[in-house]
Amino acid sequence: MAEGFDIDHLAKLARLSLTAEEKALYSSQLSQILGHFQALAQADLPATIDDARVVDEAALRSDAPGPVLGAEAVTRIAPAARDGQISVPRVVDDES
Amino acid sequence: MADALHTLSAAELGRRLAAGTLTSRALCEAFIARYRTVNDKVGAFTHLDEADVLAQADASDARRQAGQGRGPLEGIPVAIKDNIAVKGQPLTCSSKMLAPLVSPYDSHVAERLRAAGAILYGRLNMDEFAMGSSTENSALRKTFNPWDLARIPGGSSGGSAAALAAGLVPLSLGSDTGGSIRQPASHCGVVGLKPTYGLISRFGLVAFASSLDQIGPMARSVEDCALLLDALASADARDMTCFGPSDRALTPAGDAKQLRIGIPKGFLGKGVAPEVAAAVNAAVEFYRAQGCAISEVELPSADLAVPTYYVVATAEASSNLGRYDGVRYGHRSSVAGTPVEMMTASRSEGFGPEVKRRILLGTFVLSAGYADAYYVRALRARAKIRAEYLAALAGVDVLLTPTVPTPAFKVGEKASDPLQLYLEDIFTIPANLAGLPAISVPCGKSGHLPVGFHLVGAPLSEAKLLAAGRLFEAAHGFAHQQAAL
Repeated sequence: MAEGFDIDHLAKLARLSLTAEEKALYSSQLSQILGHFQALAQADLPATIDDARVVDEAALRSDAPGPVLGAEAVTRIAPAARDGQISVPRVVDDES
Repeated sequence: MADALHTLSAAELGRRLAAGTLTSRALCEAFIARYRTVNDKVGAFTHLDEADVLAQADASDARRQAGQGRGPLEGIPVAIKDNIAVKGQPLTCSSKMLAPLVSPYDSHVAERLRAAGAILYGRLNMDEFAMGSSTENSALRKTFNPWDLARIPGGSSGGSAAALAAGLVPLSLGSDTGGSIRQPASHCGVVGLKPTYGLISRFGLVAFASSLDQIGPMARSVEDCALLLDALASADARDMTCFGPSDRALTPAGDAKQLRIGIPKGFLGKGVAPEVAAAVNAAVEFYRAQGCAISEVELPSADLAVPTYYVVATAEASSNLGRYDGVRYGHRSSVAGTPVEMMTASRSEGFGPEVKRRILLGTFVLSAGYADAYYVRALRARAKIRAEYLAALAGVDVLLTPTVPTPAFKVGEKASDPLQLYLEDIFTIPANLAGLPAISVPCGKSGHLPVGFHLVGAPLSEAKLLAAGRLFEAAHGFAHQQAAL
């Protein structure tokens, strides 16, 4: 199952821009790590999976509004903000 | 007297504060003085707001004077790993991605510590986004093992362990996704406990791998570790996995001499350094001499734990770290362009090499055509490992192994070989995969380097782990040990 992977495609999916050196390094390291994962392919495994919880005492909270940080606190930590809102690069072109 | 305060346990400091022979201000001033002389050698802290610490200490002293003390942690400093939110303090995860961020809110554990009267004392270095086993992946600074400054302190909670071993603070918080509390505790000669999955709320813990992450206490003795655990466990609707305090987990267990201890077959063999095996075997013989029943147990799928973990953890990390897009908080690239170009540039500039490696790996194991072969098979392997651990723990109270196969290695020694670093966690990972509580307790030295043993118990068996640890530390000289600096 450790067939090759396309590092350019992976980087695009992960929204990462990699240099040529990074691509070579990560390709080599990921191949090695995926080779170690071969044990999973060969193992006799159960058909079922379960969730992470070991104590069945957790409960969903009521679906009711709770306290929120508020616009001032949120925009204070944003990289760019204007008029109480977070600024981002233009998403829609003028002509569209 | 002030010079010796850093050598005392939290329990003893609490007694002196309660008796009125010590004030929180005097205590915090002593720790700040030590921070100024020692932290640059060790690099445990990335931030300490001295004025804020002293203001908290004065408020604590005022409460106590007014007869409104809040319990055994009143006035005692607790240092916090830099992935746990404390309002008004930096929250960087030791990453350039978040380096300018100041948290606008308190994590649940920070709320609990404030409610207990503790002093929220500084930010501790870590591997970036808790990804690593040596703290070498911090983008902020290097942290060194106080027992040998040429060596790593372990990770990812390396700052939390090193601060304790250096006498920079009596208590600290770490987080543990695959061993990140227990492995550095072992390397630094301190106690670290990963609680049962769900015992402590993760609200305000920056997510790495949500089905594995837990916050836990670290200290220089089992007694202090228990003190901190008691303050942290509490129901919290903001973490849907959190079931809150459990009498079963926290009520002192019966006679530890009655414990049945299982030794997993083969765990002390291949890959374990002789000095580590000797120290752990000596601990086994100690328990046998105390009257504990020792037996060998089978964990046939143990070899699957590391690959299973690195598939599950990286898959979840690649999803969790998708939120760092340069829009709402954290680093935003100055590269102009479309929103996608801005996000890509921000992530590429903000994340360090190990984080990128894990995001790429997690993206691959979840990608179309590969998810069934990797991610789904890893979930099935996880179910098998958990079933085997629970079956083994039906016949014994705790499982005893080394915490780490070898003592702390030299800085840089494994930096170019991620797979070798991943194998550091071979004994600690299964407890995360199975959601079980586990503790590392100092049990000896390999030369001058600390060695710890590792106990894993059934869900909510924290009290048994702590009782077993107390029995050992009461008969040995490893509690409260500190490196000479």
